[in-house]
Amino acid sequence: MRTLRAMFLRLVGLLGRGRDDFNAELDSHLEMHIDDGLRAGLSKEEARRQALIRLGGAEQARQSYRERRSLPGLERLLRDLRFALRTLGRHPAMTAIAILSIGLGIGANATIFSMVSRFVLRPAPVGDPATLLSLHIGEKDQQCCNSFNPPIYRDLRDQATSFASMAAYYEMIPASLSGGGKEPERAWGQSVTTNFFDMLELGMVMGRGFASSEDRAPVVVLSERLWRRRFHGNVQIVGRVVQLSGHAFTVIGVAPGSFHSVDQILEIDFWVPLGVSAELVANLPPQDARDWHWLAVVGRLRAGVTREQASAELNTLAQRFAAAYPATDKDNSFLFEQAGSLPPRMRSAVLLFLALLGLVVVLLLAIAGMNVANLLFAQVAGRQRELAMHLALGASRARLRGKLLLESVLLGVGGGLLGTALSVWATGALSSFHLPAPMPLNVRIGDDWRTLLYTFALSVIAGVALGLGPALAASRPKMANALKGEDGLSGGRRRLSLRSVLVVAQVAMSVTLLLLTGLFLRSLESAARIDIGFRPQGLAMLSVDPRLNGYTAMQTSQFLAQLRERAAAIPGVDAAVCTDVAMLSGGNRSEGFTVVGRSAKDNNVPTAELYMVTPGYFATMGTPLLAGHDFSGERAGGQKTAVVNKAFADRLFPGESPIGQLVNDGRWTYEIIGVSGNAKSRTLGEATRPILYRSLDQSLTEDPSLMGYTLLVHTRGNPAMLFEPLRREVYRLDPAMAIYNEETMEEHVRSAYFLPHLAAILFGVFGAIGLVLATTGLYGVMSYAVARRTREIGIRMALGARRGAVEQLFLRQGAVLTVVAIGLGWPAAWMVSRLVRSFLYGVEPHDAATFAVVPVLLAAVSLAACWIPARRAARVDPAETLRAE
Amino acid sequence: MGEKNEVWQGTLALMVLRTLETMGPQHGYGLARRIEQTSGDKLQLNYGTVYPALLKLEQEGYIRSHWGASENNRKAKFYELTAAGKRRVRKAAEEWEQTTEIVARFFVSAEEA
Repeated sequence: MRTLRAMFLRLVGLLGRGRDDFNAELDSHLEMHIDDGLRAGLSKEEARRQALIRLGGAEQARQSYRERRSLPGLERLLRDLRFALRTLGRHPAMTAIAILSIGLGIGANATIFSMVSRFVLRPAPVGDPATLLSLHIGEKDQQCCNSFNPPIYRDLRDQATSFASMAAYYEMIPASLSGGGKEPERAWGQSVTTNFFDMLELGMVMGRGFASSEDRAPVVVLSERLWRRRFHGNVQIVGRVVQLSGHAFTVIGVAPGSFHSVDQILEIDFWVPLGVSAELVANLPPQDARDWHWLAVVGRLRAGVTREQASAELNTLAQRFAAAYPATDKDNSFLFEQAGSLPPRMRSAVLLFLALLGLVVVLLLAIAGMNVANLLFAQVAGRQRELAMHLALGASRARLRGKLLLESVLLGVGGGLLGTALSVWATGALSSFHLPAPMPLNVRIGDDWRTLLYTFALSVIAGVALGLGPALAASRPKMANALKGEDGLSGGRRRLSLRSVLVVAQVAMSVTLLLLTGLFLRSLESAARIDIGFRPQGLAMLSVDPRLNGYTAMQTSQFLAQLRERAAAIPGVDAAVCTDVAMLSGGNRSEGFTVVGRSAKDNNVPTAELYMVTPGYFATMGTPLLAGHDFSGERAGGQKTAVVNKAFADRLFPGESPIGQLVNDGRWTYEIIGVSGNAKSRTLGEATRPILYRSLDQSLTEDPSLMGYTLLVHTRGNPAMLFEPLRREVYRLDPAMAIYNEETMEEHVRSAYFLPHLAAILFGVFGAIGLVLATTGLYGVMSYAVARRTREIGIRMALGARRGAVEQLFLRQGAVLTVVAIGLGWPAAWMVSRLVRSFLYGVEPHDAATFAVVPVLLAAVSLAACWIPARRAARVDPAETLRAE
Repeated sequence: MGEKNEVWQGTLALMVLRTLETMGPQHGYGLARRIEQTSGDKLQLNYGTVYPALLKLEQEGYIRSHWGASENNRKAKFYELTAAGKRRVRKAAEEWEQTTEIVARFFVSAEEA
């Protein structure tokens, strides 16, 4: 405590008050001592001498007093800091370029790191996230991972002793939400076991979680987002009744806004007890079947139990269940990962993508770093006299190194600040990307404390690493040379070659980076040429889910028919059709199909995408019908009919006509009445998938859509103008109907370009930055070489060298550097490009055009960068340089 | 001078505090002279070291200072104990007694043995 107080006072002492006070005290001390001496009979001079001797010297006393008054180490550091800032301020252009270079490099790194932090490092926002595990069922020979069902969940919960508690939940329930005095909206929720919030250790913003007696009670917990958005943060929300898909639920609590869902990707807005799922989900899987997979499970590890122990126990239990239920559980195993980690299905793709970006931004930072290192070398070379003077006057080499390092650390920190600002802007821009998915996802990225810490560490490390070389070199000059103002850093040629190595490395890295950029730009270009199989222009769409409002299949069918009729009557509309889910929504339903009447061994089973459509769909979408005819007035209960796409026909009926054939998906048999052109179903990049279109009115009853139904309207005018009249028609049919996914088909398709777009933007930006940095680096090195050799050039010219020859001398030097760099960077990119294969659309990783054009482009740019200094060299006036001697 | 003792590290602060306790407010020069007198002139202080020690005690809050007039009517800075300083002296005295007692036992027993 006392020490702290003293420390604080010494810090205050840094501000420099109280210096005169001690002088006065010292004077008074001496006077009193001299008085005593005089009284003892000494002469005035002798008394004064004695007093000073006993004091141990006035200056020494002042010195030790000063050191005690404040913190000498810190004081020196502050002095150095002021000095460093002054030095940097004297070279504003160099400082600005250095900070900009480091800032761009660090900004890129911070941006990518904030993605890593968001998707890989961030634990779920629950209490004690390290002991909360997400469990999965692994099946032999199947890709990871399957969900649970109530019987297996109950068995596991009751028998696994490694877990203190377990909870299960149904992940995605769409509901039409009304109340709060607003238009009805569709919200996504989860039904959960009543211990869900307790075992997540999630504190409620308001109210409470579920009580164990409420498994079948009509109660609901709202998300803070929904509560603020729809109920204006009304503090009396607890106890109020809201309508979910026509059922009354009493609000009992509000969950914190930081909690979106356990997996951190889904954006969930309400939670209800698992026991009431059936009221909200029309075709809930059977409760007691062990072979349906529809429940997600999380478990809280018991204190003191390691993950290895838990894993071992789960293996034992899996074997026990397999023995007890051989029919359903034979091949099952149990897997888990920390809750909130990336879902296993997408983990490897996301990690690969982030690793690639990570590699790229590290390259970028290295390029930027070499730029700055080169600048610092040049600057130190220009300051040799000053530095040698410091040494000659007695500064230690270590102190000199410290000073120079401090300057480069300041540059690093300045770059870090700029980089942070850049990455805040960049993450904001990235978060605005809309993912092509039929349900709301939370993919917001922000700068969190992990990113800030990383950025700070990176900028200090960069500062030290960059300054180390120049500082070491500068602290050992050849004194005699340096003081005379000649090059004291080294014997001429060697130092230049170190800088050349730096610039070669830099250009080589930017060759690699640019080649990758080229690949992604080509990929974007070819993605734009991908034939999606339909015409997005002039189409508007919106979705409704009448089932959520308690409509029967018949009523839904009637509602959709009336809606089509009214939509078609809106002026400007020339077609209105319905489907379940629009194409390119990231995936809908799929089933395996076999041909009826073929023997089992001739029957290969292709998995086909399933879509429900109404008559006129193909004409409205602009998808050609290649054979047969469109649907027309199919009735529920009649023979089910289907239109298949060309890929489907080619797979199951190679060389024969599919029209009139019967196919079966295990439950129903469809008669094929037409063949349509291929279209992209889930994503742009997919290899063409077989698709089976079936009649909406024939499928609605037995196999309703879980995602609702989409109205598609075509107009010759601007489709965005149709939303207002379309909404009006929906509300005239039913004012309680929630409308969602309202967008034009062009907007929808644009969001499907998300991945090629994102990759092209990121790589394009990084590649451009890398090119600019590397070219400035090359330019800097060449300029420096010219400046150093001005005298030599003057002599050469005086001896008769022509200007052209001088120019060529430097161009040749630059060309050699560039060619060597391309020779190194090109094969590196050739090897790396194989990794990016899965992110390219319609472009080979060894795309000939990219690998041919980029090096030429880069060579041209770098020759231009060398040409400017070379011209300057050629314009040297020999008379002037020689006179300067 | 050879017979005079140097001040042990760390004991100067205690001597200052104890002297202030017995004498009341005192200036730096007076304190230094008084410490030498109390030691029976066995100690010889380097007066220059007294002031950093006083500053340290002041920073730690054991003493406070103010300007006043000396007995010869010279302007001088006077130091006096704070309440915390008084507690510190009492505690130091106890500790000192204990320490000397323990050390003394060793020497006594060594002689007896």
